[in-house]
Amino acid sequence: MIRKKMINSALSITFAALALAGCGTANQANTGTPTASAPSSSTASSEPTELVVSTWGNDDFTAKEVIAPFEKKFNVKVVFEIGNNADRLNKVQQKTSNVDVLFLSDYFTQQAIDADLIEKIDRAYIPNLDQLYDIAKAPLGADYGPAFTINQLGIAYNPKLVKTEITSWKDLWNPELAKKLTMPGITTTTGPMLLDAASLVSGSSTFNEDQAFAKLKELNPSVVKYYGKTSDFVTMFAQGEIAAGPFMQGFLKDLLAGVPDAKFVTPEEGGYAVMNTVNVVKGSKNKELAEELINWYLSKEIQEKLAKAKINSPTNKEVKLTEEEAEGLTYGADMISKLRYLDVKYVNENLKKWTDRWNREIAQ
Amino acid sequence: MKKRYVYWLMLPGLLFLTLFMLLPIIHTIGSTFFQEGQFTFEGYLHFLRDRYYVDILLTTMQVSLVTTMACIVVGFPVAYHISMLSPRKKGFLLALAIFPLLTSSVVRSFSWIIILGKNGLLNSWLVGLGLIDQPLEILYTPTAVMIGLIHLFLPLLIISLVGVMENIDPDLVKAAESLGSSRFTVFRKVIFPLSIPGLILGSILIFVGSMTAYTTPTVLGGKKRVIATFLYQNAITLNDWNSASVIATIMIVITLLVIGLMTKMSHKFRVKG
Repeated sequence: MIRKKMINSALSITFAALALAGCGTANQANTGTPTASAPSSSTASSEPTELVVSTWGNDDFTAKEVIAPFEKKFNVKVVFEIGNNADRLNKVQQKTSNVDVLFLSDYFTQQAIDADLIEKIDRAYIPNLDQLYDIAKAPLGADYGPAFTINQLGIAYNPKLVKTEITSWKDLWNPELAKKLTMPGITTTTGPMLLDAASLVSGSSTFNEDQAFAKLKELNPSVVKYYGKTSDFVTMFAQGEIAAGPFMQGFLKDLLAGVPDAKFVTPEEGGYAVMNTVNVVKGSKNKELAEELINWYLSKEIQEKLAKAKINSPTNKEVKLTEEEAEGLTYGADMISKLRYLDVKYVNENLKKWTDRWNREIAQ
Repeated sequence: MKKRYVYWLMLPGLLFLTLFMLLPIIHTIGSTFFQEGQFTFEGYLHFLRDRYYVDILLTTMQVSLVTTMACIVVGFPVAYHISMLSPRKKGFLLALAIFPLLTSSVVRSFSWIIILGKNGLLNSWLVGLGLIDQPLEILYTPTAVMIGLIHLFLPLLIISLVGVMENIDPDLVKAAESLGSSRFTVFRKVIFPLSIPGLILGSILIFVGSMTAYTTPTVLGGKKRVIATFLYQNAITLNDWNSASVIATIMIVITLLVIGLMTKMSHKFRVKG
């Protein structure tokens, strides 16, 4: 009898362990380990060089239209490492993989630079840089990589649930939005931008930290939840849990899929530029190839393809789009020149302090 | 001779656990006592002196405790019922009870969003029946987290209780009844005490599981933080692995304390059979 009991307990513990393991890893699932690339049985005269690219995702279009021609032209085999900004930055930092080219949002790139993980680029080898909008050329200094795409933080709302038209950052404080609002958490890419917007709304012409926090605290009762990922915003919006919130223009099509009436507005004070940069990782054995890939991504041809497929807004100013093609994109000298851009270095230096303050004063 | 041979079979498992679990844990705990090469308790003092951190810890423990209690209240009768059935029915119902464990916690949490949301099933029923005017605010509150956790962990309690209950000798129940005990007294004096080992085991699993749960609070929780999401913020977004390790160590200590306490309780309740 005792024996049976023991077996039973052992069984339940096993089940428990399984269950617990299940909840722990769900978040990190499917961040494949492409370092173990299958040896391609190529009979070509020279083996292609392997170039490891760390990026957010690898859609079919990019694979076929962007990567495949590059591989062919330079005799390269591109291997992807997929994941969100933080996870991939961590991986590079822990040196668990040999990434050559690193795609990150500007804000995480700055962290990588501060951690001495980024190689200085040689601008002479990336001639397409000259065709970029000024804001995208060297967002983190001339030594580091350019922005290959640009996105804009504005406000998205559901006009069926919000009667007053939204035109300004101030409108987030409109009582009509109470309990219908979501805001980005401070540790997301756009969190610090909201801090800046709050400072702006408080009437300060330069960034005033205390006023910004006071203003956000005022807004806290209206907020249903602070979102960590854009997909959380999309879910809450589609479910009708929220009706408005700061949102990145580039993801508008995801919102429209759930709520066809969804509206995106650039606030009159200006939207905030969110830039994704591409860099060479320090210690890369393929620096020249990596720079070729950066140059490739900046070329008018590729930028235009990605823009027309509505995958990325172009930073190459030679790209010309029709109104229809440009819909939903952060496109054109006019729109881009109005964007507000935070000093990423300043943000990174203060982020820990802000996070702590934000935790204590606001998100309660 | 024969025995020694059998022990060698444990080697792969032991090696694996030592390399990939024991050593990293020791390393994690060890690193919290050093700052810039100096031995110090500063990390812990900093955490425990701060009202805000302690509050997060308390909220987490409160959520875990309520979850554990609710699982016991809901799970005990179910387990008792299952344990009384014929083996075939038992197998079927146990499989049903375990079923939630087989779905991903992300999927499970998302289905609760659909049920508990402002325009969710629950609220539309309640409003439709005229029971309430305004939808209840459940989603994105600690209540939603607890509901999600109860759903997640209830099977663990049922399994561990059924395991113990089916070993209760039916003659004991008959004996008590023949001596004039009411059914309630039989339950109170015979069945409940004999179920305590299973109850303790299940409770430990649930309490510890709730305390360390990450996905459910992230998806269903609102502005209030729990310790696991706080740890994640420190480690992943702020890259402050030292604080994260301190929090992890505190969680390990609490876990061990809870296990110790509960095991002690189970000794106290043990009935000599």
